[in-house]
Amino acid sequence: MSSAATGPGYIGMVSSISADDVLTLYEGAKFYSPAVGDANKASLTSWLTGLLDRNGPVALRRADALPEDTPCISLCVVGSGAALADLPPAGDEFVLAVQRIERVARVTFGAIYPLAAATVSALVPVAAASQLGLPLLDADGMGRTFALIHHTAMHLAGVSPTPLVAHGATGESVLIDAQSASRGTRLLGANVDPLGGWVALAAYPTTAGVLRRAALPGTVSRLVNVGRLLLERTDPDLLVARLAAITGCHRVGRGRIVELEHLSRPTDRTIPAHPSSLVIEESGERGRQLRIELRSEIVAVFADGLLVAAVPDVLCLLDVSRGEVATLDSLEVGDLVDVLVTPADGIWYSAEGLAMVGLASHGINLDHPRRR
Amino acid sequence: MSRQHGDSAYAGVTLRPGRCVAAVIRDATVMALSCGSSGAADPAGADEVLGAIAAAAPGDIQAVTIDPSRLLLDAVLHPAADSAGTGRVAVIRIVPRAARDPRLGRSPAELVEGLVGRRFTVGGGHDLLGNELCPLDTAALARVCAHLQRAGVRGVAIVAPGSQAQPEHERAVADAVQAALPDAHISAATDFGGQGLVAREATVILDCALGAITARLLNVWEDAIRRSGTGAALRVARGDGGYSTPSRARALPALTLGATDALELCGAAYLHGAEECRVVLPRPGGHVSGDVRHGLAVVRSAELAGIGTALVVPTAVLAPDPGVSQNGERRWVRDVPVVHADADPDLLACVGAAVSQPTAWIDEVAFIESAEHLERIRREAEERVSAIVMANGAAPGTAYLTEASIVAVPYSPAGTVRIRVRVAGAADGELRRAHGEVRSEVHGEMQGRRPAEPVVP
Repeated sequence: MSSAATGPGYIGMVSSISADDVLTLYEGAKFYSPAVGDANKASLTSWLTGLLDRNGPVALRRADALPEDTPCISLCVVGSGAALADLPPAGDEFVLAVQRIERVARVTFGAIYPLAAATVSALVPVAAASQLGLPLLDADGMGRTFALIHHTAMHLAGVSPTPLVAHGATGESVLIDAQSASRGTRLLGANVDPLGGWVALAAYPTTAGVLRRAALPGTVSRLVNVGRLLLERTDPDLLVARLAAITGCHRVGRGRIVELEHLSRPTDRTIPAHPSSLVIEESGERGRQLRIELRSEIVAVFADGLLVAAVPDVLCLLDVSRGEVATLDSLEVGDLVDVLVTPADGIWYSAEGLAMVGLASHGINLDHPRRR
Repeated sequence: MSRQHGDSAYAGVTLRPGRCVAAVIRDATVMALSCGSSGAADPAGADEVLGAIAAAAPGDIQAVTIDPSRLLLDAVLHPAADSAGTGRVAVIRIVPRAARDPRLGRSPAELVEGLVGRRFTVGGGHDLLGNELCPLDTAALARVCAHLQRAGVRGVAIVAPGSQAQPEHERAVADAVQAALPDAHISAATDFGGQGLVAREATVILDCALGAITARLLNVWEDAIRRSGTGAALRVARGDGGYSTPSRARALPALTLGATDALELCGAAYLHGAEECRVVLPRPGGHVSGDVRHGLAVVRSAELAGIGTALVVPTAVLAPDPGVSQNGERRWVRDVPVVHADADPDLLACVGAAVSQPTAWIDEVAFIESAEHLERIRREAEERVSAIVMANGAAPGTAYLTEASIVAVPYSPAGTVRIRVRVAGAADGELRRAHGEVRSEVHGEMQGRRPAEPVVP
C-alpha cells in the first residue's frame, strides 16, 4: 500500500492499493480464509497487477470518509475456488454484475466494498474498483469467509443483500430479488453450478452512511500487514509470534496430519462442501490428538476430545515446512502444521452472531469455548 | 525404496548443457564418475558416459537413469543456446468466452508465453464434474485448423476447463488438428490431469515445446546404450524423483521437468541412510529444504523454480530454509532427522537417479455420494495409478501405494473431492536401499556414511 497519506479519511499511513501490494494482499487474504488453493494464484495476481499498473493505485477509504449518501456495492466470488481456477474469469464479470444492478436500481455506485475480505474475494473488489475508477472501502461484511452470503454484518444490521446479480464466466448472469436474505442465498446457490461452479457476485447495494454502522472497518488494510509477515518466510515460531502481535492469534498446537476423513458428520444441503475431518498428532511433550472439523472452512478444533476453538474464530493451518498458510484442498497425511486460532470480529460472538454462524449451524451442538 | 540385495549396479546420469555427471551404485557403494567435457546431447558424449559407467561396474550395470530436466529447462530458458530449439507452440484454449483482459488471455509466466507463437480461443468447455457449459464451436475450430494448416504449425497445445472429467471437447479439437496437421506434436491437458486451467495450459505448452528436443535426446541415449553392449535398461527421471520409460518420457516430456530437485533430496537421504527426513540443500540464493517420506521426495503440483507459474506435474516441494533458531536448533522439526546435503549437488542428483523407482500419480476431482462410493472411487483411482506405474517400468506385483489424499473441495457441492494418489513400484532385481551400509566414493576417495543429524528432542 502506498505510504503517502494525502488527505483526510485514510487509515493511518494507508491510502491506496498499488500493484506492489498485490502479492501481500493475496497472502494476507489466504490467512483469513485458507479455502482456496493456489492453482490460479499466478493468473489472478497477474491480472490485478496489470490493472493497477495500467490504471494506477486504487484509493482505499473509510466509510466515514465518503459522503453519507454515496451509493456502495459489495463484490465477492461465490462458489468453488477449484472451479474458478479451472474456468478463470474473462475479466469483465464483476464490472458487468455491478452495472446490471446500476441499471435495475437506477443508481450509479460511488464505491466498491468486499462482501468478504478474505481469499480471492479480497482481490476481486480491488480489480473491479480499478476497472470502474472507484474507491474501495476499507471494510467488509464478514472479516473472514462464511459459507452463505447472508452471514454478514450488513444482514445483522438489517441491510438486504438484494437485488443481487451473479455473473458467470460463461457470459450468463442471474438477477435475484428475493423476499428475504435467506431466500436470496438459496436462489443464488441454485444458480452457481449452472454458471460454471463459481460466480461474480454483486450484492448489498447500500450507502456509505449505512456501512459506517453496518460493515466491519479496517478489514482490507489489515490483509496487507498480515501478508507482509507471511511473505518474509522466517522461522515458523517467530512468524507465529509476529502474527500473534498483529492479529491476536495463538497456536493451539503443532503436529503432523495422520488422518483425513470424509462424511464425518451428517450432510445438509444448505452449506456447500460436505463435512470432513482431519486428525493431527501433536508434536512434543503434550502429544495430544487434535481433531479438526472442516466444512469449506475449519469450523472446530478438538484437543483430546475437548473443544478448544470453533467458528466464528478464524482457524487456519500454517504449513511449517513451507512457512505458508496451508490451503484446505491441498492437505496431505504427513504434513507438519501449526493450528492457529484468531479471534473474529466481536459481532460474531454476540448471541445473534453465534446463532447465525456458530457451531450449531454446522450440526455441532456445543457451546463456543469463549462463552464457557 | 524396496529392492533386492545383489551385485547388480545402477547408474544415474544428470545431463547438463554441455556436460554430464554420472555415478554408479553397486552393493551400496557409490562411485562418482568423471565424464569429460563432451555434450550430453550428442552421441559422443553419451558414448563417453556409458563407457565410464561400464568400466566402473563391468558386466553388472542393470539400468541407467538419465535426468534430462536441467538440459530441457535450459532449452526453454535459453533457446539460442541449443541449436535444436524448442519450436513455437500454437495454443488452443477451449472456453465459453474469450478473455476480455489481455493478462487473462495469456500465461502469467513470460517464459511460458515466450514459447507461444499463436493463440486461439474456441467456444466450449465443461465444469469440474464434466457438465457441458458451452457446446464446442465447430465452425471456429474449422477456421483455426485452416489457419494452422496455412501457417505450417508443428506443435499445438490444447486445454479446456473440465477436461479432467470430460475430455470430449479437447479430443474433438485434437482430432481435428491432427487431421489438418498429421505431423504436428499435439499436447492435450487431459493427459496430465491436475488443477487450474492456467497451470494445465502452461504444462501442455512446455510439453509441446519440449517434444522435439526430448525425442532427439532420447534417441541419442537409446542408440548409445545399444552401442554400449551393456544390456542395461535406459530410464528417464521424472519430476517427482521417480523414473519412467523413454517411450513414456517421449510422449509426455513435461513429466521430466523439475526432476533434479527431487533427485537431490532422494540422493541426500540415501547417502544418509534415511527413509524419512528433512533435507537442507544449498542454493546460490540461500538454503532451501524439502522432505523425504518413505524414501521418496515429497512432491506437489506447484510452481517450478524458474518457470513463473504453477504446473500440474508433481515436483519437489522446496521452501526457503529459515535456518536455525537462536539456540542453534531447528525446533520446528522434532520428529525426523535433518540432513544437511553438503555433497556436490550433481552427485546427489546422480545418486537419486540411480536409486529411483518407477512412480506415478494422479490428481483429479470426483463426486462421492456415500462412504461406499468414496471407497470405490479411491480403489479405482489406485488401480488406475498402478496401471500407469507399470507402464512407467514397474514389474508386475511390485506397485504399492505411497500416498493417498482425498479432501473435500471447499465451497463446492457436497460430495466433491480432490483425489491425489501416488504409487511406486520396482523393477526386478534392483539394488536395495542399504541403510547403515551406504558408502560413497567421490573422485576415488572413499568416505564413510555420514550419520544423519540427531533428532532434536
